Amino acid sequence: MATVAVRAPAKSAAGTPPRTRRRKWTGWAFAAPFVLLFLVFSALPVLASLVMSVTDLRSTDLRHPLAVNFTGLDNYIRLFSDELFLRSALNTVVFVVVGVPLTMVIALAAANGLNSGLIRFRALFRVGFYLPVVTSIVAVAVVWRFLLDPEVGLVDNLLRLIGVDGPNWLADTSTAMPSLIVMTAWRNFGTMMVIFLAALQSIPADLYEAATLDGAGRWQQFRNVTLPLLRPTLLFGAVYTGIGYLQVFEEPFVMTQGGPLSSTLSVSYHIYNQFGFGNYGYASAASYVLFVAIVALSVLQFRLLRERD
Amino acid sequence: MRKRRTVAIVAVAAALTLTAGCGRDAGSGQEQAKAVDAGKATGDITVWAMGTEGEKLAAFAKDFTAENPDAKVNVTAVPWDAAHQKIASAIAAKQTPDVSMIGTTWQGEFAKTGALDPTPPDLIDSAAFFPGAWATTQVNGTSFGVPWYVETRALYYRTDIAAKAGVTSPPKTWEELTAMTKAMQAKGGAKWGIYLQPGKTGSWQTVLPFAWSNGASIADDKGYTFDSPQMTEALQYYQSFFTQKVSPTDLPNGQLEPDFGKGAIGAFISGPWEAGLVDEQGAKGKYAVAPLPTKQSSTSFIGGSNVAVFKDAKNRDGAWKFIQWLSKPDVQVKWYQTVTDLPAVQSAWQDPALTSDPILTTFGEQLKTAKAPPSFPTWEQVAASLDTEVEKVVNGKETPAAAVKTVQSQAQSIGTGA
Repeated sequence: MATVAVRAPAKSAAGTPPRTRRRKWTGWAFAAPFVLLFLVFSALPVLASLVMSVTDLRSTDLRHPLAVNFTGLDNYIRLFSDELFLRSALNTVVFVVVGVPLTMVIALAAANGLNSGLIRFRALFRVGFYLPVVTSIVAVAVVWRFLLDPEVGLVDNLLRLIGVDGPNWLADTSTAMPSLIVMTAWRNFGTMMVIFLAALQSIPADLYEAATLDGAGRWQQFRNVTLPLLRPTLLFGAVYTGIGYLQVFEEPFVMTQGGPLSSTLSVSYHIYNQFGFGNYGYASAASYVLFVAIVALSVLQFRLLRERD
Repeated sequence: MRKRRTVAIVAVAAALTLTAGCGRDAGSGQEQAKAVDAGKATGDITVWAMGTEGEKLAAFAKDFTAENPDAKVNVTAVPWDAAHQKIASAIAAKQTPDVSMIGTTWQGEFAKTGALDPTPPDLIDSAAFFPGAWATTQVNGTSFGVPWYVETRALYYRTDIAAKAGVTSPPKTWEELTAMTKAMQAKGGAKWGIYLQPGKTGSWQTVLPFAWSNGASIADDKGYTFDSPQMTEALQYYQSFFTQKVSPTDLPNGQLEPDFGKGAIGAFISGPWEAGLVDEQGAKGKYAVAPLPTKQSSTSFIGGSNVAVFKDAKNRDGAWKFIQWLSKPDVQVKWYQTVTDLPAVQSAWQDPALTSDPILTTFGEQLKTAKAPPSFPTWEQVAASLDTEVEKVVNGKETPAAAVKTVQSQAQSIGTGA
C-alpha cells in the first residue's frame, strides 16, 4: 500500500500536465485520513500477525517482542498435529456445512411467506423474525439455556407430553452441536430474510403472470422463475453467512464453553484460548489458517453460484 | 500486477528485517533484589487491584497515608475479566502502575517477562507467610511479589444427613469419605453423596488435592511430572465417585448451593466463600467443614492473590513500603474484617477475629500444608489440558492411567515456558 501511494505521483510527474498532477494530490489528500488509519490500524497489525505466526512469540516476551526466534512454518506444522485444533476444525466444518444451508432455507421460506402469504401482519412478522438479530447474544443464551434445560426446560417438557424422555441437550456430546446450530440459525436468519424479501419484491410480477399463462404451478414458478432471479442474492447470502459461521465464537462461548468434551469447540474459540494461554505466535498461525479457509470457502461459493451464460 | 508484487516484496523484506538479527538471549542467571531505603514513604503510589479489593482498597489505604503523610495512594479498580489483558498491555507499553494485584497463577508468566521487581528480602520476611502462598511468588528461586490474601479448599458436608446415615464424625480417610457419601445416598436421603467438579475449567483445583494427598508431585525443577502411580491412583479414586453414581456428571451451573441447602447433595469440596452462599440457601447450622480426608497426607490447594511491584515503577521504594504495610499482621486482620480476605500472614490467624469461627479454623489448619501448582508460565495451558482429560475420565471415556499419560505428553510438548 505504501509503495502505491508513493509511486503513483512520481510516475505522473513525468508525463502529465501540472493541473492533473495537482488534482491527483488533492485526491490523495482527501483519501489520506482513511489510508493513514487503514495503514496503522489494519494493514500493520495484519502484517505484524503474519510475522508473529512464523516466530515463537509468547506473552512472556512482551517487554522484548523482537528477541524471539524465527521458527519458519513450525507453528503451522504443529497445528496440524494438534488434536484439539483438528477437533475444532471438524466441529467448525460441521457447523458451516449444516448451519449455512439451514439458515438460508429458513430465511428463504420466511421471505417467501412474507412476500405471498402473510400479507396482513407482514410488518409484525418481519419485526418478529428480525428481532433475534438485534438481541444481545447474552440474553439469547440465557433464554435458550432455560429452553434446553433437562429439568425445567420447555423443549424437554413438551417432549415429555408425548412420552419422550428428552436428552440433556447442552451436556450431551451428540446433541450439543445440533442445539447450537439450530440456535444460531434462529438468531441469524432474520438478516437474510430481509435481504431475500427485498430481492423477491424486485422480481417483476409479469414474469409470474407469463408463467401462470404457460400453465406453471406454484412449485414450478418457484424453481424456474424465483430461484434463477434470486441467484445473485443467494450467492451474497451464502458468502456472507459462510464467512460469519466459519468464525463462530459467541454461541459456544456463552452456551457451552466449548464442551462437553470439546464437542462444540470452534476454531475461533481455540484461537481465543491459545491467545489466552499467551501463545501469540501459535495463535496467529491458527488465525491465518482460518483466514485461508474463509477465502477458499468464498471462492468455492462464487464458483458454484455464479451466473451461468 | 507489478505494484502488487512490489508490495509483497516490501512486506517480506520488512518481515525479514524484523526477524533477522533477533533471537532469544541465553537464559540469564538469578536476579538480585535491590535494597529499599529506610524512612517513610513519599510521593504518589499507583496501585491496580481487582474485584472487591479494587473497590475497598482506596478507603482502606487512608491508614497508610496517615502514617506516611508525604505519600499518596492512587487505587485503580480493574475488573477481573480485563485484568490479565490490562496488565499484559501495560507491560508491553512499559506504562505499568507501581503496584498491582497479581493472580497467583499469573505470577510465573509476568515474572518471566522481566517486568516484576524481585522482592527485597531485608524488607519482607518470607517465613511470616504460609509456605504454600510464598511458593506462588517464587519463579526460578527468586521471589517476585508478596502474598496478599489466601484461600484453600476443604470438605463441606451436611451433618444432619451424615447423622441419619450413621456417621457422627467427619471422614478422616479416603475410605471413610467413600463410605460416608455412599451412606448419605443410601440411608440419608441425599440424591447425590458428594459433588466433585466433573472436569471443565478449574476442576484441577479439586483433583490436585487428591493427588498431593496421595504423595504425587506434578512438577520438579526441570518440568512436569504427571505420570506417576500416585497420580493415577488419585484419579482412579476421583473417578470412582462418578462410576458408582455418587457424584453427578452434569449438574447445571449454580445448582450446587440450592441442592446442598435442600439436602439433595450431601457434601462438596470448595473454598471459604462457599459458606456464605450455602447459608443463604438454608443450610445454616446443618453443615460442618472438615479438613480434606487423609491418604498419605491431607494436602489442599492454595489460591488467592499476590501483590507485586513493577520494574518500570516510578516510585519503587514507596511501592514496596506500601506492600510491607499491607503484610503487617494487624493490617491483614483489619483487611479481613473489611473484605473477608483470609490473611496470608500466619501470625494474623491468632487474632480472635479469626479464631472464634470454627469454619475458619479448619481452613486456617488446612492452609498450613496447602500447596500451589508450579509457577511455570505455561501452567494455565497445562491446567486446561488436565481439565479436559479429567472430563473424559469422569465420563468413562478414558482410563485414569491413559489420562495421566496424555496430560504428561501434552505438558511435555507445551514445555515449562522457562
